[in-house]
Amino acid sequence: MANGLHRPLRGRGNAQLPLAIVAVLAIVLVLLGKAQSSLFDQARASFTDWTRPALEWVSTPFAGTANWVGNLGHVFNVYQENLQLRQENARLRQWQTAALVLDDRLKRYQLLLNAVPDPALAAITARVIGHASQPFLDTMIIDAGKAQGVKPGEAVVDARGMIGRIFLAGQHTAWIVLLTDLNSRIPVLIQPGNVQAIMAGDNSHNPTLETLAQTAPLKAGGQVVTSGDGGLIPPGLPVGQLVADGDGFRVALLADPASIEDVRIVNFKLPQEQPPAPSPDDLPASAAGLKPEAPPPPAPATTPQATPLAITPLASPHAAVPRNPTLSHAASQTPQQPTVPPQQGAAKPATDDEGDTQ
Amino acid sequence: MIAMQDRLGFSFLGAFGSVIPFLCALLGVIVANVPISVSGGIVPPPLLALMPIYYWCLVRPDLMPPFAVFIIGVLEDLLSGSPPGVWTVAFIAAYALVDRERESFAGLGGAGAILGFAAAMLVAGASVYGIIAIYYWNLPPLGPILVEIAVSVVFYIPIVVLLSFVHRRLVGSARSDL
Repeated sequence: MANGLHRPLRGRGNAQLPLAIVAVLAIVLVLLGKAQSSLFDQARASFTDWTRPALEWVSTPFAGTANWVGNLGHVFNVYQENLQLRQENARLRQWQTAALVLDDRLKRYQLLLNAVPDPALAAITARVIGHASQPFLDTMIIDAGKAQGVKPGEAVVDARGMIGRIFLAGQHTAWIVLLTDLNSRIPVLIQPGNVQAIMAGDNSHNPTLETLAQTAPLKAGGQVVTSGDGGLIPPGLPVGQLVADGDGFRVALLADPASIEDVRIVNFKLPQEQPPAPSPDDLPASAAGLKPEAPPPPAPATTPQATPLAITPLASPHAAVPRNPTLSHAASQTPQQPTVPPQQGAAKPATDDEGDTQ
Repeated sequence: MIAMQDRLGFSFLGAFGSVIPFLCALLGVIVANVPISVSGGIVPPPLLALMPIYYWCLVRPDLMPPFAVFIIGVLEDLLSGSPPGVWTVAFIAAYALVDRERESFAGLGGAGAILGFAAAMLVAGASVYGIIAIYYWNLPPLGPILVEIAVSVVFYIPIVVLLSFVHRRLVGSARSDL
């Protein structure tokens, strides 16, 4: 087109050496980024914080236009969709009645068993002010950051289900990596059957599933919820439904990131697993004829999240920690030393120093 | 202006004209990475930064040196949220292709010029795909990058008219002062 009109004013540029230098620099940058993926994170967060007022101002009309464009296809099948929604509504009303009855029964059983009820999760509501859709990156930007208590790793949900996780938090903005993104991998449970799996995004609309059990019986229509393994994401958040894809399955997500305007960031932290208090018979000190110290009183719960929420403690990383490692270490080095309280297990270096000096 | 040029030994207009190609690419980086999608996320934004790089690498390589391409690539990585260096390598790979085949590309006109940019875009897309595959040790789907290439090639048609205008009116005239 225009290339033919503008002939190069000079011949081939003497760019061979600089080109080689910048090529090497670029490869070094890739390797550095692989070694430390948070290389640009601070700069990105600062830039997003800086542009937040402009983004908020511009995003509203653009979001309206995007919604209008996105909904254009629905105009042509609005009648069929209306019929389907009426049928679905009637079916859901029946389920709602059943759910209310079961919920009431569950509360009575919990009361009878003196069971600790699940705590209500704290959440921060934020507005979506940006949606970046790159070829290998699917992210959103929200107008809440560290100042509002948002932390990286927290789950983000909308009214229908989980949409992603916080991966970068600035002072007043945060980036959400969507479940469809290539970087997204979350542990999920497939019901019925409680089949454990890892849901991985591959930049398609429906993430893939990697089941941990090869012979797990899966059926299309199965419900996918978060498992809570790892302790960052609360268990039981609805994610999607299983859909058949060739020989395998994918997850049709409940949430639709394209039409989301407000999200909630779920504040959840798995309580630290506490090792059980040792009995006097377990202690080498007892075997040596020394009287062990009385076990300390249990630490009071400080936050609602400190109640036992972990539904799969064996699969969590905390379960891999050896039981009472400080105790065995201290006992093996200083048999005269009285027992170390389990709650002080984190203060291992201090204990070691004491053992060495004595 | 002429008096100042004589006194200081350089022309402000000339200096301004020589940074316009870089500023165009910078503007492309910023506009393409504004996190607002007009299409509701159906299609990705075009790779606007590569268009000035390709255009000025052909017509005025002295105004689009490799170091400028490197800086533009780093900014694209920074603002797009991609892993560091991914788009930097892609831009440099496309630049290397155009630098090597400048005579062939510069002689193209009409649809051929679009195909020339498509070739550069294909090299950039293939570089990004390869790095991402190695980075995550997993073959990502080809669809998104093919859509990105197609959208960028379509957008190149109006953008090249704009770049041509800027070249004739701003860059060209400023250089003629020298």
